[in-house]
Amino acid sequence: MLSYVLAGLGLGSIYAIAAGSLVITYVASGIFNLAFAAMAYSVARFYYWLLVEEGWGIVPSALVSLFVFAPALGMFLYAVLFRHLRLRSTLVKLMATVGLSVALPPLVQLVLEQPTNTQAPGLAPRPLDVFKVFGSTINADQLATYIGLVVVLVVGVGLLRFTNVGLKVRALVDSEALTSLSGTSPGRVSLGVWAASATLAGLAGILLAPTQGLSVQSMTFLMSAAFAAVVAAKLRSLPLAVAVALVMGVTTNVLEKFIDPSSEFGAVIKPAIPFIFMLLFLLFYALRGQAGDLVAGGALDRAIATQGGDPSVVSAVTGGSNRRILNPSVLAGVVIVGIVFLMPGMLDKFWSGLLATGIAIAIALLSYTLVTGEGGMVWLSQITFAGGGAVLSAELVRNWGWEPLVAVLVAAVFIVPVGVILGLLTIRLGNLYVALVTLTFGSLITTLVFRRDPYYNFGSGQPMPRPEYSTTNDDFAYLALAVFVILAILIVNVRRSTAGLAMSAVRFSENGAKTLGISVVQTKVLVSGLATFTAAVGGGFIAMSNGSTLPDSFDPAGGLVWLAVLVTMGARSNIAALIAGVMFIMMPQVFQTYVDHDYADIPIILFGLGALGLALHPEGVVAQTGNNIMSLVRKITGRRGSDGETPVPPGTPGASGPVRSETDDPLLTPATRGEAATITAGGQA
Amino acid sequence: MTTNESGTGSGSLLRVENLAVRYGAAQSLFDVSIDVPVNSALAVLGSNGAGKSTLARALSGLVPSCGGKIWFDGKDVTKWSPTKIRRAGLVHLPEGRGVFPGLTVLENLRMALTTQRSGKEESLEHAFELFPVLGQRRKQLAGTLSGGEQQMLSLARALMVSPKLVIADEMSLGLAPKLVDVVFDSLGKMRDAGIAVVMIEQFASRALGFADQAIILQRGSVTWAGRADEAGEELLHAYLGGATAA
Repeated sequence: MLSYVLAGLGLGSIYAIAAGSLVITYVASGIFNLAFAAMAYSVARFYYWLLVEEGWGIVPSALVSLFVFAPALGMFLYAVLFRHLRLRSTLVKLMATVGLSVALPPLVQLVLEQPTNTQAPGLAPRPLDVFKVFGSTINADQLATYIGLVVVLVVGVGLLRFTNVGLKVRALVDSEALTSLSGTSPGRVSLGVWAASATLAGLAGILLAPTQGLSVQSMTFLMSAAFAAVVAAKLRSLPLAVAVALVMGVTTNVLEKFIDPSSEFGAVIKPAIPFIFMLLFLLFYALRGQAGDLVAGGALDRAIATQGGDPSVVSAVTGGSNRRILNPSVLAGVVIVGIVFLMPGMLDKFWSGLLATGIAIAIALLSYTLVTGEGGMVWLSQITFAGGGAVLSAELVRNWGWEPLVAVLVAAVFIVPVGVILGLLTIRLGNLYVALVTLTFGSLITTLVFRRDPYYNFGSGQPMPRPEYSTTNDDFAYLALAVFVILAILIVNVRRSTAGLAMSAVRFSENGAKTLGISVVQTKVLVSGLATFTAAVGGGFIAMSNGSTLPDSFDPAGGLVWLAVLVTMGARSNIAALIAGVMFIMMPQVFQTYVDHDYADIPIILFGLGALGLALHPEGVVAQTGNNIMSLVRKITGRRGSDGETPVPPGTPGASGPVRSETDDPLLTPATRGEAATITAGGQA
Repeated sequence: MTTNESGTGSGSLLRVENLAVRYGAAQSLFDVSIDVPVNSALAVLGSNGAGKSTLARALSGLVPSCGGKIWFDGKDVTKWSPTKIRRAGLVHLPEGRGVFPGLTVLENLRMALTTQRSGKEESLEHAFELFPVLGQRRKQLAGTLSGGEQQMLSLARALMVSPKLVIADEMSLGLAPKLVDVVFDSLGKMRDAGIAVVMIEQFASRALGFADQAIILQRGSVTWAGRADEAGEELLHAYLGGATAA
């Protein structure tokens, strides 16, 4: 029993380091770092390069990796990305860190290459020493992990509680504005926090590599498990995060004593433990009304923050509900759809097949347009619903011999209740919690369903034929495009309908919407249902395009990339979804075919960097390009907008400047600069 | 008033010329100009939304200006960070409770001393002498203090560091009359110590009684500026309405 506990403490220690780091960076910066795994991988890969490939010793490799490379990485990322994010919306913050998690590992691999052996050594010398503890054995790697956690806790708590540096960090947590008014530079403190965070990420990565492997996937698993501890800590209690992480690690290992991990049940229960922990704590907090959005900074920070930074808000203002038939966005849509319509005839079979898959993914991306763009809900499980649609429709075809298109539509209808229930369960949660829950839900379904037989079938899944009338790539591309257009028109009409207005109202302010008599529950259920249906239809089309369900293609990590590509293009634009879907599939192949096989990851890096760009341009590439073109057109034609002013987001403080007229009270004439106004008291009155 | 090359007139500590501020697309201040001599007090009056707090935030560097110039102590501080402006000797006590709620009273005071290299212990003792209640509650979280005690803590943070100029933004807001007296007494001590004060106040009459100069802001512009004792009741009523001018 003790050996299971000791082994569990090792795993729990790594969870605890990760969870502790996530909590500290979240409270100090307001950013939940989804790129933690990518940072852990990058530092661990650098350590492996020094230790194994360059032949350095353990101590110099660790010192340089953890105290030179990692802090430099953290500070660089703060300088180019994180400092722009503090007052952005949850969606932009998440997407920027998703972008980083997408771009960073391939960037590192571009320089250092993928390691040939993922079983990397840790901080203990090889061969591993073994120690006896109360009759049980632990190896040197486990001992290094325990020591790692103790050092982190002692040094971390000591720094935070008893030093001026810690005082400044805690002050920054309370209010960035007040910290700066106290003469302390928040930038320098944040720089230090991100340097420390990268060091902790690196330590977790190095400690994890010997047991879980030096790969992005193993680091992502670590991060997902740490989420549960972070949620349990309500995102801000460091002791609770560490304690829950340790308990989770021990529980995971102790269960192996009682349940055979190779058994059917054991294989299911072990990966589900973090999700069960998260679910229990979330239910507890939600019932007590303590799982709402956490507000970064103090009242002064919010007072000086300008509104904006949410793609859905920005697009709503600039795109709005323009009902003109020949408005620029409709014209752009017709042009883009027209170009995609012409493409199959001009491409060979291989490329038109890729195009068809791209359009199928664009259908699934429309679900994000609905749930995130219209509903303002940060759901990270749309790819899971797409996978559900694919698996279920394939089962309907395989077992019942249904016509594929009918099977896809019926399967999508069956998946809708899952989305609606998830929507209802998360309705009282803040945006960040919703994102974490949906991501973890996706991971759980992937493990419990998609990776189980008969659905997995060695990765190839179950066959999913195309309809008889569209077996060729060209015909299938046209069918997918037709479905895309129908769903896009449906979304536009929903947006313009009363229900769409209710969605907008809820997105801007739930409390405000309630005062208007709008049912938030009804509205969110509607959005959840529509989005889930769209995602499932998209999943069915992806499976038809591939000829098989390919369950691995519906991994939640892939869903993050989908969303990153979409928000880079524009979260509320249907056309952006089409462009994103097509580019997501075709760009890597273009690079692989016409540039170099080694550079196949470049588009993924670009997608990630594109999502990073959200920090500066939240409206997305499509809307930004559209605005630039319209500005150019106005410049050329010499026309101005109706008021010649930049649109002002609703609710912006002081949106109306002084409006002067000849009938204004003469008392209101501004005093001339630097001298007393020549107004006698009571002159006018 | 003559202006030298550094933008300051003779004896001028803070000088602002044509200051303009935007929050995103919305402009909040239009061509605001003020002049605060050394060891003087300026009252900034105006109704809600007039731009008083925005002016304070722009002067302390919290919000960037989109036009105009700010000179403080002979230096152009228009583009300076709040940290650098604070280190130059300008302390901004913001609207609301300008304390760190998650830090103890003692830690709040220590944060105020981060720019000070020596004499920290003496400064702390000075703060506790001025406001003995803070000494009794030194280990209590600032967020759990009463509103008046939080304002005392905020004032102590300014008084203990001997700045050149203090901007006090609505310090008496929501306080009981006795505590309002404490606030004005504390600001009076600052003036006695040679510290210039820019006071943003809701109690217009008391503010005018305290200050040498006054300006009235309306919809982001200075609509009246002059000696505080020249601002009569009728003028205040015309600009601010009866309730505010009380």
